Amino acid sequence: MEFPSTRALDGLDLAVPPGVTGLVGANGAGKTTLISLMLGLLRPTSGSLSVLGLDPAKNGPELRARIGYGPERNVLPDDLRAYDFVRHLAEVKGLPRDEARTRASDSLYLVGLGEERFRALGTMSTGQRQRVKLAQAIAADPTLVVLDEPTDGLDPVQRDEMLNIIVDINRTFGIDVMLSSHVLEEVERICDHVVALDAGRLVAQGTMTELAGASGGVAVELVDIAEVPGSIDQVEQQLAAAGASVRRNGPILELSGPSDDELFDAVTAAVADAGARIRKLGVRRRTLDDVFTADVVSAEYAGRAPGANEGSDR
Amino acid sequence: MTDVPLTPPGPGGANPSSAEIVARGFQRYDGPRSGVLGAIRSVSWQSMRSTLGIGRPARHKIFPVIAVVIAYVPAIVFVGLAVLVGDLLDPNEVADYPGYYAFITAAILLFAGLVAPEVLVGDRRNGMLALYLSTPLHRGTYLVAKAVAIGVTLMLVTLGPPLLVLIGYTFESVGPDGFGAWMAVLGRIIVSAFAVSAALTSISMAAASITDRRAFASIGVVLIALASPAVAGALVDGAELSPNWRLIDVFSMPFELVYRVYGEPGNFPELSTFNVIAVNLAWTLGGLAVVAWRYSRLVISR
Repeated sequence: MEFPSTRALDGLDLAVPPGVTGLVGANGAGKTTLISLMLGLLRPTSGSLSVLGLDPAKNGPELRARIGYGPERNVLPDDLRAYDFVRHLAEVKGLPRDEARTRASDSLYLVGLGEERFRALGTMSTGQRQRVKLAQAIAADPTLVVLDEPTDGLDPVQRDEMLNIIVDINRTFGIDVMLSSHVLEEVERICDHVVALDAGRLVAQGTMTELAGASGGVAVELVDIAEVPGSIDQVEQQLAAAGASVRRNGPILELSGPSDDELFDAVTAAVADAGARIRKLGVRRRTLDDVFTADVVSAEYAGRAPGANEGSDR
Repeated sequence: MTDVPLTPPGPGGANPSSAEIVARGFQRYDGPRSGVLGAIRSVSWQSMRSTLGIGRPARHKIFPVIAVVIAYVPAIVFVGLAVLVGDLLDPNEVADYPGYYAFITAAILLFAGLVAPEVLVGDRRNGMLALYLSTPLHRGTYLVAKAVAIGVTLMLVTLGPPLLVLIGYTFESVGPDGFGAWMAVLGRIIVSAFAVSAALTSISMAAASITDRRAFASIGVVLIALASPAVAGALVDGAELSPNWRLIDVFSMPFELVYRVYGEPGNFPELSTFNVIAVNLAWTLGGLAVVAWRYSRLVISR
């Protein structure tokens, strides 16, 4: 996808299965452009795209009737009541008037705004507005809900509540969800699948279990003991000498080697020899942050190779 | 689903009443959907409500009410005259149908300057445009919905008052003679109202598409309405150029067309009816072209 001054998406080739999918990437990574392409609001410069079995460029109205969209922008009509706002957009999505009325109330109750539904949007907090945006996205009973930064501006408690509602929408009602976010932790927490973008390029995609979770290797956190100075350095050197690949981050050592059992034995031996003390020892877990960082670095490296920008948007 | 009995169960669990309140909660929906036409209808209706201040705080009702009052007061006065002194004075001598618009120019101008900016600029500023474009609507159908809303709202002041006069005169037996003549006047009222509304809808939409400030758009409409007759007058009467320079008078030409609809020479008899029709068509289509061009280039902020 190319704009006159920039290539917003480049060589994207991905398939997103049902469930809760996280679209992650920094600001400017191309998340909103991808959402606009999915909704048929932009046409790809090259390549093809299919959403819910439909071509957004050709079947835009039909497709958008089946998609609920929660925009990133927090600006809403201030003097409209939440109920009227949700009801109206449900009607625009094609629901009969009576059904739209009922579902507007039901949706607002579902997101926890049942008692507040007749308040003007202008009097609502950021958290309440985010919930209203979610309510309008689900009111017309879409097959897929696309949420652009749904936790933006929320405090930790509100964020947890919002994430729980999003998961509930998928697990209880079977509505597929794609949410864009630049907060990897929340994507890791609720998403079944992840699509990671950086500077318009796909850097990782797959299920959460494929991308994060147990990754092989051992992580050990040591205690820095004043009476035994340099004990952590000694453990690190001994493990490296034993053939383990060691990555150190302060008192934490991340090890990889031929087998986890051998690594555990090597760690206990090295710690005993150095007179060090273990605070935490376990299988190393790969976080989405690790995936993203590693893949962005490797994509940037690959991007310097000739022809790395060639490809088609899919 | 939670079923809450309206009345407590009777002895032995029997419920004396079959009535119950059902809190069904959020559910899936697999009923019919109205598609793009339904979306246009809904957006038009909501826009009209919003413009007239319906369902909004009282301050949003002030200008629409003033405009409607200005537009309908002359009609009520004329009908009142017909009722009170109809046997002494022929009301048709006081104001004929095309001449009626001269009494309500201010109301029409106020409405034209108010409605389109409210309907178009508001959506761009409060995020509704991005939301509408995530529904079955696209930019073209969205603009159709908005044009319908503006046109129909304007017809509140371009169609309603003359219609009220016709009905009032008819009940007082000073209306058109015979069913055929009555239908002809009705047809002319409708065509006139449609022509004036279409031209002003287009011009005010064009002004509202250029700026993101409601006030600037409203002032733009009023300036066009005031400046173009002045410029046209200066060119024709002052510089003594061809009378056809009157055609640049954007605001007067729709009302000149109304006279031609009634078969009267109007305020500018030197202009041919063909030219008056053509220039109204040109202003209407030109305004819509400006709107379409502006919206095709608009970057929608999500």
